[in-house]
Amino acid sequence: MKLDSSRSLLIRLFALAVLVLVTPLSILSLRALGEFEQGMVPELDKKAAAIGRDVAGQVSRALGYGIPVDRLVGVDEFFSPMLEANPEIRYLAITDPVGRVKFINGVDRDELEPHYRSADMNAVGADGVKSSIGAYMDLALPLTAGQTVAGHVHVGFDQNHIATRLSDILADVAVVIVSSLIIAFEILLFVVFVNVTGPLKLLRDLVNRAGHGDFTHVPTSGSDDEVGRFLRAVQGTLRQLDGRYRQLMAYVDEVRSGHFDKGVVAKVGDVADRINFLYRFSPSGKPEPMVERRATDIRLALFLFVFAEELSRSFMPLFAGRLASSVPNVPIDLVMALPIALFMAAIAIASPLAGQLAERVGPRRLFLIGAVPATIGSLMTAASFGMFDLILWRTLTGFGYAMATMACQSYISHAVKSDRRAQGLGVYVAAVLTAGIGGNALGGVIADRIGLRPTFVVSAILVVLAAMLVSRLLSSADPAPGEDQPRPPGGRHLLRLLRNWRFTVLMVFAAVPAKMALTGYLFFLVPVTLSQQGWEVAEIARIMVLYPLVMVAVSPLAARLADGLGWRAGQVAVGGLIGGVGLLAPLLLGGGPLSIVVSITALGVSHGMSASPQLALLPDLCWTECRRLGNTRVLGFSRFVERLGSVAGPILAALFIPLWGMSGAVAGLGVVVLSMAVVFAIASAAYGSGPHIETEEDPA
Amino acid sequence: MKRRHLIAGLAGLGIGAANPVLAQPRPRSGEKPFRIYMALFRGWEDCAQGFKDYFVNQGIPVELIVRDAGQDKSKLAGFVAEAKEMKVDLVFTWGTTVTQEMLGPWDKPDPARHITDIPAVFAIVSQPVGAKVVPDLVSSRRNVTGTTYLVPLETQMALIQSYRPFSVLGMVYNPLEPASRITIDELTALGRQLDFRLEAVPVDVADGKPQPTSIPAKVAEVKAAGALFLYIPPDTFINVNRDVLTGAALEAGLPSFAAAENPVVNSKAMFGAVCRYYPVGQLTAYKAEQILVQKRAPADIPIDAPKRMAIMINMPVVRALGFYPPMNLLGLSEVIDPESRP
Repeated sequence: MKLDSSRSLLIRLFALAVLVLVTPLSILSLRALGEFEQGMVPELDKKAAAIGRDVAGQVSRALGYGIPVDRLVGVDEFFSPMLEANPEIRYLAITDPVGRVKFINGVDRDELEPHYRSADMNAVGADGVKSSIGAYMDLALPLTAGQTVAGHVHVGFDQNHIATRLSDILADVAVVIVSSLIIAFEILLFVVFVNVTGPLKLLRDLVNRAGHGDFTHVPTSGSDDEVGRFLRAVQGTLRQLDGRYRQLMAYVDEVRSGHFDKGVVAKVGDVADRINFLYRFSPSGKPEPMVERRATDIRLALFLFVFAEELSRSFMPLFAGRLASSVPNVPIDLVMALPIALFMAAIAIASPLAGQLAERVGPRRLFLIGAVPATIGSLMTAASFGMFDLILWRTLTGFGYAMATMACQSYISHAVKSDRRAQGLGVYVAAVLTAGIGGNALGGVIADRIGLRPTFVVSAILVVLAAMLVSRLLSSADPAPGEDQPRPPGGRHLLRLLRNWRFTVLMVFAAVPAKMALTGYLFFLVPVTLSQQGWEVAEIARIMVLYPLVMVAVSPLAARLADGLGWRAGQVAVGGLIGGVGLLAPLLLGGGPLSIVVSITALGVSHGMSASPQLALLPDLCWTECRRLGNTRVLGFSRFVERLGSVAGPILAALFIPLWGMSGAVAGLGVVVLSMAVVFAIASAAYGSGPHIETEEDPA
Repeated sequence: MKRRHLIAGLAGLGIGAANPVLAQPRPRSGEKPFRIYMALFRGWEDCAQGFKDYFVNQGIPVELIVRDAGQDKSKLAGFVAEAKEMKVDLVFTWGTTVTQEMLGPWDKPDPARHITDIPAVFAIVSQPVGAKVVPDLVSSRRNVTGTTYLVPLETQMALIQSYRPFSVLGMVYNPLEPASRITIDELTALGRQLDFRLEAVPVDVADGKPQPTSIPAKVAEVKAAGALFLYIPPDTFINVNRDVLTGAALEAGLPSFAAAENPVVNSKAMFGAVCRYYPVGQLTAYKAEQILVQKRAPADIPIDAPKRMAIMINMPVVRALGFYPPMNLLGLSEVIDPESRP
């Protein structure tokens, strides 16, 4: 991400923001955590004692009726609801007087029995004895039958429970702080660009023009601050200069028409010609306001919009799963996958149309139009009561998403048309990625705190905010609609692209599996698997955020590598192989959270490595088509094809689950992705023989 | 898993007992009290107390005219005449005998001998349909409603299942008792639902009378057929001969479950479940309130039993059989244990 000339200012401002935000938040959080910890230890002790007394009382009653301690019935059913209701209790056990474990729930008896056998249990008084056994804190209470001690009840606490709870809260706090920083950064970026560096750049252009004698443009009046006043001062001066020029020309005309001395007329004409030769003034009679669109104008709105959509990333399939009971005869896994798949399908279908619409109505209006279904979709998702309406609302949201993002792309590509295009694309990708990191992580925390449904309401509010921003900010900066461009040939010609085998191979065996892994694994299987393993939504979100983080880290390296080696196809191939192998991790490492972390990291590396070389490959592979259809259309078509992978991913994964279970589905998806990557690797070796052309510009 | 749900369900029955009394409109004080004629059979006991307490707690002014027949059936005709003469607002009848004598059969009550015009509520009638007090439990189709005190058969089966899952349920019954037939049909149907088989064996009949001496052999027969539990229905013949029956079951090592109090409390049935009388009285009073205060027709008020029940476990029998109850069930139960140590 290039911050160019504003870099040092931004870095300083950002450092200030870090200081202002992180310091008080950290101090506050640490103090609150201290209080929390102090309050929690005695609470846990009390709870252990209460549960222990309850169990001991009931068991003693049974023993008192003459039931021998080793012949108690239904102890499992007696213990398990207590363990379920109190996750911090790890086990409940009953031992006989010599410490043999007669009944135990929660852990393996071999873990505890040696300790009980060696401990002097006769010393246990009515209040019980606390002892530390490995990772557990054991509270032993005596069981009495009449006057004799018939055994003991043991309540086992997780010693790490408090630490675990604290680290959970700490992680939540960290996520909130980092997300706030990301948001603060986006807002800073916005403020600095719109209010400071943007106007100053405009002025620089004007001053440069003036230096070359071009006085045709004046700056538009800016905001009501120093920069704005400066802008207006320059504007006034330029207007004055323009006025003087007009006066002079009027005088020249007067002399020309009224003077009898031909020599004077000629002399004056010479002077006028000379002035007109050296300086240029607006031919329309007054200087024109200069409008400059910058990619950064729309960045905050784009960020907010994508942020809103990312909030539900970590729990979308779980939310769908909760509504699934309303659908008979449809497997639950498919029900959970469908909202994601159809959201992706809506984007795939709507994006090309939205692209055309952007040319007709302008990015500003397209964004505002798109915000309507996105807002309604999010609000109604929050209120949805069954699978069918959920799918409807998610599809609607997908349409809105496609329109808003295409509006931003269109705006950016117009804004930087004359400028460097890669930089514009950088703005887009950066906004989407930071929104992905902050939105997903924060969404998990919000969902855990206020619930899944209210989180969708938060999304809707953010979308409205983004729309308000676009409506206010771009009001004057929208390009005139209907900018006539030669309409390139349409759909059928695009399909002809598929006859280019290099293009087809790149799409089918590299782009599509990459998206399949992203939506099928990361968006669908990861939340479902982790949730089944008992992880909270906030934790799931934190793990999922690994993907964009790794990608952010790997992408620049990969880009440098690609530029240095010029080995784009190879990089795409290697990236694909890494992703495929990564998905097999659960098979090799046993499906636990570690394996998921490994495979998400691999996915991040894979996509970070192959995403930009894959884009850059397009003009190389089909330069004739690019020339005929335009880079933009070729790129648009490739996006459409790879989104088919986004649609297929979750559905495929959902179909695998009933066949091979959770880990099996991940591995199955991995096998599919890996074998496609292998095909691409082999086929790409043949890429070398064929027509090549250097990339003239970065596709956007 | 299945069993845990079952226990949870039972706990729900015990704890979440529907006391259907809240949010009823209270009559303005100073109103003339409702006059209720209470015809009792064995004196003032828990059911009558529950009936009375309900009105006190609800602040409904009532004047109770209490008459006790002292187990003398002949006094009941006098009660009918007195109630009619006093022009009471409602008649309360206690037990099957009082109810049959004072209210008559549902299909042909005699206005001369029975209460017909005055609305009536009955309580402590184990089988109102079998006793011909009402045609079914949904509606009496006359000026009568009331309560039963038997735990629903389905709940009884769930209870036995929660003690131990079983596939064969034994039952020894009196073939001359029509109510037994009804119980057998219902249990057979429930068996299809809950996946058990009913092994019902009738006692021998000689000279038109069931023979108590044949009971032990029948119990052994049931045991041999693979029954894990013996079901003891609320039946007069069985009640009279409960010691023979439960003794035989204990002898045969067959755990028994009774749908009545006596076999458990005063004999050797292993466990059982009944409704306590006090809540029965409260529920009956609630029905009376619906008639008196809310002016609902008795025929529109269904006959049912309170949701709250008492599970009783006969601990000496349990110990003798060495067949111990699960912890959760024990926690919900009342334990009968003369040598109780805790």
